[in-house]
Amino acid sequence: MLMGSVRNEPAGEPTFEPMIQIDMEIKTFVSAWKHCDYVSTYMAWMISQNRSDSVRHSNLFSSAFNELLEVAFRTRHADGELACRVSRHGATDRIELTIPCVPEERQFYQEAVSQVAGVEAKERYLNSVSGDLAPSREIVLLELAVDYNATLRVEEAESDAIKLVVDLPLEGLQH
Amino acid sequence: MSPYNLLPRFKAQYDANNQEFSMSGVVRPQAIDELGPSLALLRDAIGRVRGVLYINVRRLTQMNNAAFHAFSRVIIDACRAIPDLKFVVITSSVVGWTSRKFGRLNGIEPNITVEEYDSKFYPGQGFLEEGGFVPILRTQTKMTWRHERTILPRHGMRPGIAMADICCGIGDFAVLVQKEFQPSRIVALDHSISSLDYARRVMREFDIRGIEYTYGDASEMLLDEAQFDLVTCRHSLQIFNRPELILKELYRICKPGGRVYITNEKNSHCLGEPRAESIRWTYNEVAKLFAHFEMDVELGPKSRRYLIEAGFEDIRVETFMVTNMDGDPQDFADVIVAWADVYAGDMATRRGDGPEFVARFRQGFQDHIFAALHPKGYAGWPIWVASGRRPQ
Ligand SMILES: C[S@@+](CC[C@H](N)C(=O)[O-])C[C@H]1O[C@@H](n2cnc3c(N)ncnc32)[C@H](O)[C@@H]1O
Repeated sequence: MLMGSVRNEPAGEPTFEPMIQIDMEIKTFVSAWKHCDYVSTYMAWMISQNRSDSVRHSNLFSSAFNELLEVAFRTRHADGELACRVSRHGATDRIELTIPCVPEERQFYQEAVSQVAGVEAKERYLNSVSGDLAPSREIVLLELAVDYNATLRVEEAESDAIKLVVDLPLEGLQH
Repeated sequence: MSPYNLLPRFKAQYDANNQEFSMSGVVRPQAIDELGPSLALLRDAIGRVRGVLYINVRRLTQMNNAAFHAFSRVIIDACRAIPDLKFVVITSSVVGWTSRKFGRLNGIEPNITVEEYDSKFYPGQGFLEEGGFVPILRTQTKMTWRHERTILPRHGMRPGIAMADICCGIGDFAVLVQKEFQPSRIVALDHSISSLDYARRVMREFDIRGIEYTYGDASEMLLDEAQFDLVTCRHSLQIFNRPELILKELYRICKPGGRVYITNEKNSHCLGEPRAESIRWTYNEVAKLFAHFEMDVELGPKSRRYLIEAGFEDIRVETFMVTNMDGDPQDFADVIVAWADVYAGDMATRRGDGPEFVARFRQGFQDHIFAALHPKGYAGWPIWVASGRRPQ
């Protein structure tokens, strides 16, 4: 079921073929920051082998996916499992990240994602770059839309979890 | 194999001579204090330069938003404090995210601009990339393959190896190797999008599997180090104004104990009978024409020196001559027609050659074709093959 009012599931939603899935205890994941780097690099490498330009695709995918994992890392967590799934439809790769989280965090994700779709997304992103503060999680999500043409939405997952669905049309990004 | 162990770690350097601050590798810090020394180095560089500071991120493969923000802030602050200081960020089209992300900075401070370094990469690039060369490359490879298929095993080619073909062009060498030697892995890299498109189309149409075509810059590849048993680079060192930079990269991606295999020409040694004199004159001029555009098509016999200086051992060099007697003489003639088109056409015009010179220049190609198609004639195109082993 759809939670945010962000992007409606189009009627004839194409089928995404599953490619790879990694699950791990959220406790294990947050025990070391470098897990973000490892997981994003590894998955990018695995799913890019059959892309027309595997090195370039893997570089872009890893870059975007790492940001998502860093966001998940900074979430205030309930116990549970972090699930990362990647599936593909044509030129688009879909990342589904199921993140255990406390209730306030759900609201954060819904708001953040609806901001991403907002009209001033790019201006807000630029303001943040020239601002003093290190990029917030919301800005990080915004950047995915601005620099990778990503579309984001939030779906309800099991209790105490949120599912972030991010579509990345990387094959179409200009050289 | 775990890919992350092979990724280059982060490095920041300042080169005072070139007023260039460069960053390379992967930087994904959790907290900004991890970047302290690099940020200090950037601030220090800003304090020393006048006019322009180049920020080279060509080899910056990954940088998270936290780090991007930290470095950007230093640069943006500098723009505000020193209005006549300009920043030029040098990105590479190969690392997909850099031009977009750093490009945004220009919308914040106009004194920060981004230049994609490899969009105008080597001096003669235009001539060789603009479609015209595709048919020549196909026929050339067909002719050289007759020789190379027996030569390659003496230079480390064997079934099951991991290999890379750098500057692969339209990819038919990779396809031929795949069929003949069945390596376990072939990565084929080039910097021409149209050639790669062509190569991928061929692969799809002929249902060939297992060749990984990759867009990249041979002088700064994103390929991990020490991965390949054999790295080939054919007819390409000779078109770079600094071939040693390419060799250094070929060395880097080659496994210790593996070999790098290069082929090059010495154009002035193309020959034919009858009409030897006219042919000789023209090919001497070909060498000079390329030299004018900083390409050394006389490189063949220099291969040994280049390989030694790049640190290789057990160097092997051999030559072969493609002639009108291998297969169909018309193939040989077709190649010369295409050479004449580009050399006596576009290139001569660009150098500003007059009609008299061009007429004589063309005549030599005509005579080479005449020799190739003459029933008693002989026409040749010599190639130098060389390989060296990366020390253990
Ligand atoms: C003379 S062709 C040789 C092609 C092929 N190896 C063959 O033998 O048919 C040179 C090739 O080098 C490629 N090239 C030029 N600059 C490059 C660069 N910086 N990185 C990778 N490839 C490059 C060109 O696109 C072209 O395909």
